[in-house]
Amino acid sequence: MTADPTIRATPAGAPPLLAVESVDVTLGHGWRANQVLSGVDLGIWPGEIVGLVGETGSGKTTLARTVVGLVNPRRGRIVLDGLPISALRGGARRAERRRGHVQLVFQDPLRSLDPDLTVAEIVAEGLRIRGGADGEEIRRRVTAALEKTGLDATVLERTPGQISGGQRQRVSIARALAVEPRLLICDEPVSALDASSRNHVLRLLYELRTSLGLPIVIISHDLSSLAGIADRVVVLYRGRIIEDGPVDRVFAAPRHPYTALLMASAPSVRHDRPFSPHQLRRAGSGPVPQDGPDACVFAARCPFAADVCATQPPLTAIGERWSAACHRHEEWGALAQPANP
Amino acid sequence: MAIDNRNPSPDLAPSPVGAGSAGQGADEVLRLDDLHVSVHDGAATAVRGVSLRVRAGEIVGLVGESGSGKTLTCRAALGVLPAGCAVERGSVSFAGLDVTSLSRRGWESLHGSHLGAVFQDPASYLNPVISVGHQLTEVLRVKLRMSRRAARRRALELFEAVGLRQPERVFNQIPAELSGGMLQRVMIAIAISCDPQLLVADEPTTALDVTIQAEVLELLQQLRDERGLAVLFVSHDLAVITQLCDRIAVFYAGEIVESGPAGEITRRPRHPYTQALLRVASVGDFRRRELEVIAGQPPRVGADITGCRFAARCPVAVPECGAGPVRAVAAGDQHHVRCVHAAHAVVAP
Repeated sequence: MTADPTIRATPAGAPPLLAVESVDVTLGHGWRANQVLSGVDLGIWPGEIVGLVGETGSGKTTLARTVVGLVNPRRGRIVLDGLPISALRGGARRAERRRGHVQLVFQDPLRSLDPDLTVAEIVAEGLRIRGGADGEEIRRRVTAALEKTGLDATVLERTPGQISGGQRQRVSIARALAVEPRLLICDEPVSALDASSRNHVLRLLYELRTSLGLPIVIISHDLSSLAGIADRVVVLYRGRIIEDGPVDRVFAAPRHPYTALLMASAPSVRHDRPFSPHQLRRAGSGPVPQDGPDACVFAARCPFAADVCATQPPLTAIGERWSAACHRHEEWGALAQPANP
Repeated sequence: MAIDNRNPSPDLAPSPVGAGSAGQGADEVLRLDDLHVSVHDGAATAVRGVSLRVRAGEIVGLVGESGSGKTLTCRAALGVLPAGCAVERGSVSFAGLDVTSLSRRGWESLHGSHLGAVFQDPASYLNPVISVGHQLTEVLRVKLRMSRRAARRRALELFEAVGLRQPERVFNQIPAELSGGMLQRVMIAIAISCDPQLLVADEPTTALDVTIQAEVLELLQQLRDERGLAVLFVSHDLAVITQLCDRIAVFYAGEIVESGPAGEITRRPRHPYTQALLRVASVGDFRRRELEVIAGQPPRVGADITGCRFAARCPVAVPECGAGPVRAVAAGDQHHVRCVHAAHAVVAP
């Protein structure tokens, strides 16, 4: 899909639809407490597709769960269209959740969809919980949601076990669309699918954004598939955002060494990478001089770590709508050269 | 037992795929001839006439959509077909020995010592309550009759060889204390512990992070270089396969539709299905482009189709495609294609 600039252009200074403001999240209690997110700042503007990437344990899924209110931030807040939803408690929070403004599509549809319900019942469930619609209205909306995801009425009476993996993922998306959300978050929507079905689902998400103007956050570890559809890419490393910028510029010249490592490690049919993974990995297993509680989260793996990296760099603007958290974002590129001229 | 000279089914596969001009080398580790595997207690045939060779020091990749028969082929080569599945026709030879109808005990003596295997989800193949070091020494003590002390020393060497830092520490850890990438390294250490000739790796990196995947692929290449290990590698991701493998076999609906050297397949794919796979693969150029898809669905497992099994989804299908079985023809050095268009090109260059 080619970029459509009319969709992407969000007036500078316009308030984001969703704002994640200095969010810290700790999971577990006492000695098992584990800080999963640290000072996460993120805005999602109407009509954009944002790719959220990072490795296992980097906090991608926790961030998504925090946004929909399944996890409470220890510090900071989540603001949806001016309403601080993370501060809601009790009945107000339950009511907000029932409205379903933010919908989460879970990673594994086989596990997140009830195997005993038919597709029709699964897609209708959110509408029934929200209430305010009669049977006729619900049926109409279910059919409309399935249509939007390219499924026809033949799947209505089947259970998740009776349809293919690609169709199951479409059902998860239809379930989320039925309540007409304002923001869709998809957690690894394509990691369980093979290449062709993967592109089918990604194309569907792209079309939904175009036809409904729906902002979509796609959590993924596959950067190159994001390159096809995302407008912006946000890289998480150990609970911190380390780079956030327009997808074409970040992928053309990543400014954080970890983003560069992710790109260099992605399998490729071609061999025309600016860096090889070797140039971006720390050699040997010796102790890291810059390691410490305040050190940059990536210092222990970074081949370019210097004394300055003994403190965590903040996420700072390095260009228009582009920021990175690296002390040496201007220098490391030169240090990593000359391999592939 | 020796390789019998049975003819592969006459209408298919003029020569086993990948045989090339080298002929029957003594270094041939695995050879599948006209392999047919039936599923559902013989109700359907999921693998139809697969012929394939893997030589020592060579990495051969099997690629295809889910349900294309690549995993069943692998399992037949390992002698671990799931219940209800059986080799219907054809043969599996291991280092020149026909093992098609080997007894369970016979297979057990091959596993570990001659054949190693690594699968997608390492955690489900390891005992969760026993230290990984113990699980590795157990193999060494049973298979190689090593003493406790020698096994421990060897285990630490192996952990080091597969790139686990602090092997002493890892030795005493249980699977839950290790990350996915470390567990896959432990699995590889166990798989190569008795110096097998062949390593079968079925989607070993699918569940791993991309940076760890790159490291595991490098490890497999390094093991091949250092030990002359033959590797049969299965993945649905053509990008992973082309990066790692020397030769590629593309599976579609239970058949190999194209096979040849990796560079040749990616630069000059001849089969429309391979061309489609290359278009949908994560080519990794990070450029914004149209996301392509392959229209239609693969046929049901065991579907009775005369002629080319891809014809229903093929953009260049002609009536001839459905006329009769399509032979695999040579399209270059060691490059074989099962497509009527390729056949024409050979007849009238």
